[in-house]
Amino acid sequence: MTESAAAGIHPQSAATPAPIAPTKLKVRDLHFYYNGFHALKGINMDIPEKKVTAIIGPSGCGKSTLLRIFNRIYAIYPKLEAKGEIVLDGENILDSSYSMNRLRSKVGMVFQKPVPFPMTIFENVAYGIRHHEKLSRADMEIRVEQALRSAALWDEVKDKLKQSALGLSGGQQQRLCIARGIALKPEVLLLDEPTSALDPIATGRIEQLVEELKSEYTIVIVTHNMQQAARCSDLTAFMYLGELIEFDRTEQIFTKPGKKQTEDYITGRFG
Amino acid sequence: MSGSSKEHIIKSYDDELARLTGEIVRMGELAVSQLEAAIDVIDRRDERAAQHVVSNDDAIDLLEQEISHDVVRLLALRAPIAGDLRNVFAALRIAADIERIGDYAANVAKRSIPLSMVAPIAPTNGLGYLAELAAKEVRDVLMAYRDRDAERAYQVWKDDADLDEAYTGYFRQLLTYMMEDPRNITPCTHLLFMAKNIERIGDHATNIAESIWYQVNGEPLTAQRAKRDFTSNPEPTKLGHKD
Repeated sequence: MTESAAAGIHPQSAATPAPIAPTKLKVRDLHFYYNGFHALKGINMDIPEKKVTAIIGPSGCGKSTLLRIFNRIYAIYPKLEAKGEIVLDGENILDSSYSMNRLRSKVGMVFQKPVPFPMTIFENVAYGIRHHEKLSRADMEIRVEQALRSAALWDEVKDKLKQSALGLSGGQQQRLCIARGIALKPEVLLLDEPTSALDPIATGRIEQLVEELKSEYTIVIVTHNMQQAARCSDLTAFMYLGELIEFDRTEQIFTKPGKKQTEDYITGRFG
Repeated sequence: MSGSSKEHIIKSYDDELARLTGEIVRMGELAVSQLEAAIDVIDRRDERAAQHVVSNDDAIDLLEQEISHDVVRLLALRAPIAGDLRNVFAALRIAADIERIGDYAANVAKRSIPLSMVAPIAPTNGLGYLAELAAKEVRDVLMAYRDRDAERAYQVWKDDADLDEAYTGYFRQLLTYMMEDPRNITPCTHLLFMAKNIERIGDHATNIAESIWYQVNGEPLTAQRAKRDFTSNPEPTKLGHKD
């Protein structure tokens, strides 16, 4: 025993994160296969409610795959199979009896590249709402304005709602996609590298938006940008080769990660 | 866990971190040499040599500026995290401690000048022992820093109690001399200040040990160290007397 240990001084070992909020998404023994390839290998994690959880890891580690399983996008492709459980509010969303329509209204997703529909700014936001709800014109206008305000885009587009969304800048288009996602009032918002195609100012706006949205939504963000994960998230998960290596408070991960693999990755020693 | 032993993908990042470590070690060695030189000039009662030690402190200050510059550059350009961040953070703190150690060594040398102008007194010799303990602490803690050795740093942190105890003993000895003969008051007062400076060098060595501990383990060294400097005890009658 070292002298410091004998004196009762111990460097603490990495702990599993203490719960910081009630669990919104409970992932249990999740495996994922595509074309026979075992892409996710027994993932277990509790994603807390109304917090931001970042997922980081090198390309091909399975982080985007995991995110996409949260809203079962894989189900539209053949030869893809998920095993295990993802429990949202007490129900396993992987269960075939859990309707896709219901899932999509509860779990919204924003992708790496903003893809506005080739229609007006107003219609981009209203389109999804119409699919799920029947609202009067006045109510629809209120709802679209709410979504655009929540996405911090209203002031920039309020005078050009009838113009094509394709005329917006990249950052504005991405915020429009976020508005489109939150217009359905989901409970969980999934962001898949939402700023990788944006300049630092547009990135800053999205990060500020994430900060504001977390009071209402449970947010899961996949990012390649280490500093973004550090800035935006409450918890960070590090994945490698389809496994969840470490999942802890973001502050812990970026000051004293518990696993050497995590340290090597976040400090740029991987390879 | 003290970061990772693997190299960064960007090699120049490793070079910059290694340069920082080298600068700290060099700065620390300079500070130890200054302390040893300060004690040497007391023995030799050499005013010119003492002035030389005082002016040499500028070199330590200059190194601290270089380190601060390198730390800011690393923070701005590399955005270090985890073990790298702790390395950079520790370097900044340690540089500040070494700069203070250099100041104290220069103060000792400065006070040796008026001391050399009065007749030599016996307790002057006792200062060398305190300086030896302090220099050993600084040397050991520098080795611990260079080797990222938290256990060795912990040992220094613990051993500083010996210096505190030696200082308390020396303090009592000086008080006795002053009470014996008021003509001793002037040289003994200088010696008291010099001894306090040396005792403070030990405290900065323990600060460095704490920084190393944090750098390596990612958490503070919080246990209570046995503090045996009783000179600020509010019961002065106990000082220099055996009841």
